[in-house]
Order: sequence, then structure tokens, then C-alpha cells
Amino acid sequence: MFAGLQGFFDTSGFIPHGVCLLWKPEILALHIGSDVLIGLSYYSIPIALVYVVLKRRDVAFSWIFWLFAAFILACGTTHFFSIWTLWNAEYGLEGLVKGVTAVASVLTAIALWLLMPRLLALPSPAQMAAANDALQREIEVRRQAEQRYAGFFNNLAEGLFVVTVLADGRFAFDTLNPAHARATGIDPDTIQGRLVSEALPPETAQAVTARYAACVAAGGPIDYEETLDLPVGRRVWHTVLVPVRDAGGTIVQLLGSSRDITERKQLQEELVQTSKLATLGTLAAGMAHEMSQPLNIIRIWAENALSRLRDGDTDTARLDKVLTIVADQTERMGKIIDHMRTFSRRDGGETQLFDPTASVRAAVDLVAHQFALENITIDADLEIGETVARGRPLQLEQVLVNLLSNAHDAIVERRAADGEGSPAGGRIEVHVRRGGSPGTALIAVTDDGGGIDPGVLPRIFDPFFTTKEVGKGSGLGLSIGYGIIDAMNGRIEAANVDHGDGRRGVRFTITLPVSRPSATELERTHA
Amino acid sequence: MPEPAHILVAEDEPLAAMAMEDFLQRKGYRVTLAQDGLEALERYRNDPADLVITDMRMPRMDGRALVRELRGLSAALPLLVVTGFMPMEPGQDDLTSDIWKPLEILRKPVSPQVVLDTVHRLMTARPTA
Repeated sequence: MFAGLQGFFDTSGFIPHGVCLLWKPEILALHIGSDVLIGLSYYSIPIALVYVVLKRRDVAFSWIFWLFAAFILACGTTHFFSIWTLWNAEYGLEGLVKGVTAVASVLTAIALWLLMPRLLALPSPAQMAAANDALQREIEVRRQAEQRYAGFFNNLAEGLFVVTVLADGRFAFDTLNPAHARATGIDPDTIQGRLVSEALPPETAQAVTARYAACVAAGGPIDYEETLDLPVGRRVWHTVLVPVRDAGGTIVQLLGSSRDITERKQLQEELVQTSKLATLGTLAAGMAHEMSQPLNIIRIWAENALSRLRDGDTDTARLDKVLTIVADQTERMGKIIDHMRTFSRRDGGETQLFDPTASVRAAVDLVAHQFALENITIDADLEIGETVARGRPLQLEQVLVNLLSNAHDAIVERRAADGEGSPAGGRIEVHVRRGGSPGTALIAVTDDGGGIDPGVLPRIFDPFFTTKEVGKGSGLGLSIGYGIIDAMNGRIEAANVDHGDGRRGVRFTITLPVSRPSATELERTHA
Repeated sequence: MPEPAHILVAEDEPLAAMAMEDFLQRKGYRVTLAQDGLEALERYRNDPADLVITDMRMPRMDGRALVRELRGLSAALPLLVVTGFMPMEPGQDDLTSDIWKPLEILRKPVSPQVVLDTVHRLMTARPTA
């Protein structure tokens, strides 16, 4: 084996390659010059390649650069060996160098072909430039959009805020826009990233987190009015919350918009009060009659008694009777005054739990006697058991009085249109019933005043819409009633009805959310 | 002694009606009471009165309708309307118009003496039948 290896490198018996070239100087010079230049070139290329790989750490497939370097280095070496073998016949060694070069060449070639698809997939610099440009444009568009949205967020007059819903269900403030900061007096920097329960005073925090939780529970936008004590003072807000979900569908954010409606609310209150006074005005006529009755009785009885006394009649039993009548009549007048006073009183700002049936009954009581005198009877069926609604009892009473006086006016008008003869009776039915869906009560007022033109039916709740003559109606009654019922989360609808016996009229139906008092108490203890 | 003049009083307030009855009887009139217009009309047909005192707002038939009915029955019947409040609805009869005379209107609360004076005036102005 060792002898074989020595034999392989043994040069004896070989003649140098220059002999083949017959030592012709021009041939030798051409071969030597070419080989030197090729070898030097080959040697420079791997240096360049390695330099590139070392400098450009991000070059893809850098190992193939090393393979190329090895292959070209080997190629260069074979050329220098060709020069060497011109004089030294070490063909075994030269063959070995060629063998190494062959291995490097084959490996490089195979690797190159294997790598070809991936190399082709590499983006060209032109492609890269184009992609880069597209990216730049995209960035610019996004930057502008962001600027635009930031512009909206920062400049809109509507108060906007973002609340983060934490994994544990708690809420933290993300941001609020300058309009909201101004309106609330809250400095965004002081609340950013903080838990709502820590950033706000306890009562305010409790109120708003209940709303946030309700929005998360609802899984959709919610819309509500709330009164909050904030750095700017006590204000009324109309707020809309919209949940934002992540890719998995979990609600991670709430977007809120809030508008300060304190002034509008006050105006609304004024309007309600104005309309109430207008209703009072129409009622005043009836009240004048109501008051004149007992006053008349007192006067006649008193003057009668006086006249008898002057005639010398001192029957104490008679005097007792007269004075009792007088006292009773003053009490009757007192009650009328009380009711008017209650009705015209301004309701307090806060809502309360109350029995809606009681408000309906009070309204019926207020007008029943007066209507009866005009031959208009009120059939009231108010037995639905104990229920409570949230709102202001006097406002509901006001709505009912308004509906009843509209019904009254319709009947009077129908009678006038019917013409001569003794006035036919009018009937108003008032029902309080359980609603079709659980947790609701229906209050229905049905008259037989002939009904409403179907063409104007959709408009009757519009403010200032009236079918009455000038001076007869403000056109505000029903629209204010609509507002009051809406504030109680209820609704009011009107429809024409045919009583089937030739009488026709209108039915106003109020649907109110109610609960049983016991359930409410339960709720309270849980809260 | 002449037959006392007959006065029909239509008034739905029993206490007011009783008091009217009391002082009119004391002054020598014969008094019939009715609780509403319809009853008054019925009573008038059965037993015509020399004068009718009526309230304005009453159940079943109000004073305005009663006046119209009575005027239809007798053009000369003196009428005294006693009312607390008389709204003038368009299309309704204006009782202050001369066409309804002899008719007087008094406002509640009314003094018995004023009622008596008015009754007396209406009766004496009445053309003797």
C-alpha cells in the first residue's frame, strides 16, 4: 500500500510537460502567461466572494458562496500546477489536485441545480425596488389615513373615548379625545392606562362600569342617558358604546361617544312644563266649572240661612246642617285645588319606582267628573295587580290627562259634526293590562271620537303637529308624551279602532317595562 | 189666592238644587226639580212650568240642548241659565243672542236674591197669557 502510494507520486519515467511543447519559448510563454493570468484571476474571485459574504451578512444561501470559493480556488490551483508540470513531471500530484477540483466542481454543480428553484424565487433587485416603492406608498397612505383619523378624533366636537376590556373583565381607560377632555374636565394623561375604578371617584366609576359591563353583556352597541358628577360638575350625557372584538371574537375594547345634553335636557324639562301648563290651560276651563259648583252651593245655603236668621228663625238643627254643608263644600274645593297644585308642580330630576296604575287612576279621577257633565263616561279597568315602573309618576299622569283630553276633544268635535239633536254620549275606555311580552304593562286609552285620518296618523307624535284649530292646541302634547314614555324606555302607539257598533275612534297604547315589586326588592338586595 | 207660579229647576248638584228649592218655596213658588236636561224636558211635558232655571253642564242632556228643546215647545217661556262656566265652542248656540229671549244668564256662584230678582223680572215681563 505504502509502496503503491510512493509509486503513485514517483516521477521517474515521466518527462516534464515542457518536452511535449518541445521547449518552444513562444508556446511556453503563451501557456505560462495564460495559466498565470487564469490562476491569479481564479484566486481573486473567491477572495471577492468571501469578502461579499463577510460584508453582507444578510446574503441568502451564503454556504454556496463558500462552495464556489472552494471550487474556483481549486480551479486556479490546477492552472498553477500546469505551469509546474512543464518542468516537473509530478503528474500524480497534479491529478490529485484535479481530483479535488472535480469533487468541488461536482458538489457545486449539484448544489447549484438543487438550489435553482429557490434561487429563482429570490426577488430581483428590480422587484425589490418595486416592492419597496409599493411599501413606501402604502406607508404614506396609512400615515395620511392615520393623520386623518387622528384629525377626526382630535377635532370632532363629539366627545370620544376608548376603554380597554381587560382579560379579568375589568375596564381601563385607553384614551379620550380633546373634546371629551374639555367637556368632562378630565385630563387624558391622568387616566390613560388606568383602571376605571381607580381613575374616577367611586360613585362615578360604579355608574360607568355598570354601563361598560352592560355593553359587553349585550355584545352590541348600547345607547343611554346618564347623569354624572365630573370635574366640570353634574352633567347629563347621552352616550353610545360600541364593542370592538379581536380576531377570536372576544370583546377587547369599547368605543364610546358622549354628548353633553344637560342644556337640552333642561330645555326638554321646560317644554314638558310648558306643555303641562298648556294642558292645565285647557283643564282650567273645566276647573272653573268644578270650583263654581261648591262655591254656588255655599253661597245659596249661606244666604238662605242668613235670610232665615234675619227673619228670626234660629233653628239650630238647620244651622248645623247648613254649616256642615258649607264645611263639606270647602273641603271639596280644597281637593280640587290640591290636585291642580300636584299636577302643575315641577317633577324632581330623579326617576323613581312607582305604580303606573296609580298615575292612570289619578288622571282618570282628575277629569272623570268634568267629562261626565258633558255626557262622556270613562270606563276604567285598572286591575293588573302590583307592578312598578321606573320614571316620574306625575309625568305619566300628565301623558294620561293629555290623552284623555284629546279623547274628550275628539268626542266633542264628532258631536258638533253630527249636528243638531241631543248630544249622543261619548265613551272613553281606559285599560291597564299585562303586556304580551313578560315584564311589560299596557295602558290603553280608547275613544269613540270618530278616529284619525290615516294620512296624518304617522305624524301625530311630531312636535307642533296639530289638527286642532288655531288657539286650541299647541301640537306639543303628544310629542312631549312621546318623549316622556320614551324616557321610561316605553313606547306609545296610535291606531284607529272600529268598535263594531257603528262607533269608531282612536286607541293610544302605551307599553311600559315593569317589574313586580318583590323582584325589585330582590334586585336591590343583590345590588 | 192665585195659584203659585211653577218653576222647574234643572240642576245635577243635589245640594244646589235643594237650596234653590228651599228659597224659591219660601218666596211662594211651586218648585219641581230635575237632575238633568232629559228629566227636565220630561217633567216640563207632564207639568209645564211658568219659568225654567237650568244649569249648563249636566249629564245626558246639557243646558244648551234643553234650552233649544224648550224654546221649540214654547217661544215665550222665560228661561234662566245659571252657569259656572260657559265656553263658546264654534257651531254652538250663542245663548246671549236675542233669538233665545226671554232668557237671562247668571254666573255661579249665584246669590239667591239675584235669582229671585231675575225670576221676578222675567215673570213680570212675560206677556200675560
